[in-house]
Amino acid sequence: MALMLLLFAIASCERGPEQIHYGSEECAYCRMIISEPQYGSQLVTKHGLVYKFDSIECLAAYDMSGEVQADHVHSLWVPDFPAGPEWVPAEEAHYLHSESLRSPMGLSISAYSDYDEAVLHQQQYRGSVIGWDVVREIVKQEWRLQHSQN
Amino acid sequence: MKIFNSTRSVPSGRWSPGMLHPLPCSRQRLQHSSAKKRSTVGLAPFFFGLLFMLTAIATEAPAGTGSGELVVRPQGPVASIAEAIELAEPGTTIRIMAGTYNERELVISKKLTLTGEGFPVIDARNEGFILKVLADSVQIRGIEFRNTGVSYTRDHAALLVEDANGVVIDGNRFTDNFFAIYLATVRGSLVANNHITASGTREASSGNGIHLWSTWDIEVTGNTIRGHRDGIYLEFAKGALIYENVSNGNLRYGLHFMFSDDSHYHDNTFSNNGAGVAVMYSKNVKMTGNRFVENWGPAAYGLLLKDISDSQISGNLFRDNTIAIHSEGSNRIAVKNNHIIRNGWGVKVMANSQNNVFSSNNFIENTFDVATNSRRNYNTFEGNYWSRYDGYDLDQTGTGDVPHRPVRLYSLIVEQNPASLILIRSFFIDLLDLAERIMPTLTPETLIDEKPLMKEVNL
Repeated sequence: MALMLLLFAIASCERGPEQIHYGSEECAYCRMIISEPQYGSQLVTKHGLVYKFDSIECLAAYDMSGEVQADHVHSLWVPDFPAGPEWVPAEEAHYLHSESLRSPMGLSISAYSDYDEAVLHQQQYRGSVIGWDVVREIVKQEWRLQHSQN
Repeated sequence: MKIFNSTRSVPSGRWSPGMLHPLPCSRQRLQHSSAKKRSTVGLAPFFFGLLFMLTAIATEAPAGTGSGELVVRPQGPVASIAEAIELAEPGTTIRIMAGTYNERELVISKKLTLTGEGFPVIDARNEGFILKVLADSVQIRGIEFRNTGVSYTRDHAALLVEDANGVVIDGNRFTDNFFAIYLATVRGSLVANNHITASGTREASSGNGIHLWSTWDIEVTGNTIRGHRDGIYLEFAKGALIYENVSNGNLRYGLHFMFSDDSHYHDNTFSNNGAGVAVMYSKNVKMTGNRFVENWGPAAYGLLLKDISDSQISGNLFRDNTIAIHSEGSNRIAVKNNHIIRNGWGVKVMANSQNNVFSSNNFIENTFDVATNSRRNYNTFEGNYWSRYDGYDLDQTGTGDVPHRPVRLYSLIVEQNPASLILIRSFFIDLLDLAERIMPTLTPETLIDEKPLMKEVNL
């Protein structure tokens, strides 16, 4: 029993992004099956629970919903768009908001670890390069409208 | 909503095959039709007037005349489709004879009809897109599209229609493409009788069969779709009419609805899809006469409702699904005359779903007829047939004398602790359910069918 507890303690020490099983796991916010590695994101709590999302906008919306209390959130992770599922902390990433790159929930947000990459993609797909705060703001504004009927 | 570009007005009438000029004009359209008029010299003057008033397309007439036709054949004078498109005057019908054409990235920006004879194949050999339509009233028939490249931008569709009206895509085949048919900002068009298959095995490398994004009044009918990510996908598709399609064996959803108000889908078959059918973030959706069958898996549903309101689900068949109907954040839905048979869960209603009415449905041999995650109930169940009901009808009214409680105590236990499913056939569980039914303490008190039917509803 003590050994098990110890193992458990060790296992839960390492907190960070997990592998997402694309095509079989559900988004914790919108319940869609997560299927696009360029957009799948995750939230890790201080207890080591991992919530997975099909898009960056769902991650932002879930984080703002208060479903997990702000002081229980350990970290937020978004995938580097050019590199496939390589995890970047949400607050440090750069984002492209461009209608030509259509993310699963329709808000057209993709993430980049490298600012130059983001600008490079902007040149190809237009739109604007933004930070995490603006992403949250966009989600807040766009979805308050859409979900207001409920 | 920002996405609906305010410079466009929504057409009031629905497109129908019999209507030739149903749509309002845009500036492009006016220029376009004046070009068209030149090619119709010789027609009666009153007809001219009519044309002008409707600001529409030259009729089918020039296409029937010899000059309005171009033939493409593998060893003919015009041997490539690209060349034919280049040569053709607006209004021309291009006849493509049987054979394989290794072409890609074709662009149509004038009104043309492409008709295949003996199913000619356009093979992109796994690179790029195949055909992009940027003009109104283009018709594509009888052609097989094969092997687009894979990329995550919308361009990589076998057939992409963008910013157009009145397009007809009828009776084509699509084989092993990333996206097969992709409509973006399109109005009043028809997608009918296409046969769409893909052999993608990983969801991430496979696009959707029929993808509508930002469309108005599109009709999708008589298509079969297999092996794509989502069979039919609608996002910001207002007033879509989806009927008599068969969407089987797709990797994610057979039909996937997002932000698509005022749509109707009926008499479709959705079976063996990875996760069933998902209808999300929409209002005023009618779902009638569909078949949701054999959608098995840990996250699979016959029908997943997420944030849906003021909608109607009637006359459908739900058979052999893990969860027939899962409702989350969905309000004011009338669920009537459905046949819900042999599913793991018949109906799962989460506590955030309110004012839904379930009436005259048949709940037959489901492991759990109704499950919920709350003791409270804000929904109405009335006059359904429950095969699990064991009361009598001594007064011969056709409804049972004692109310039926469709939520088993055991379903609550399973909801909280999925592993307890292992006890499903045990005597202890039967005892527990019976005790709870006699003296409810944990199941929702008001979730009761006061008038359970003694006989199945004839559907």
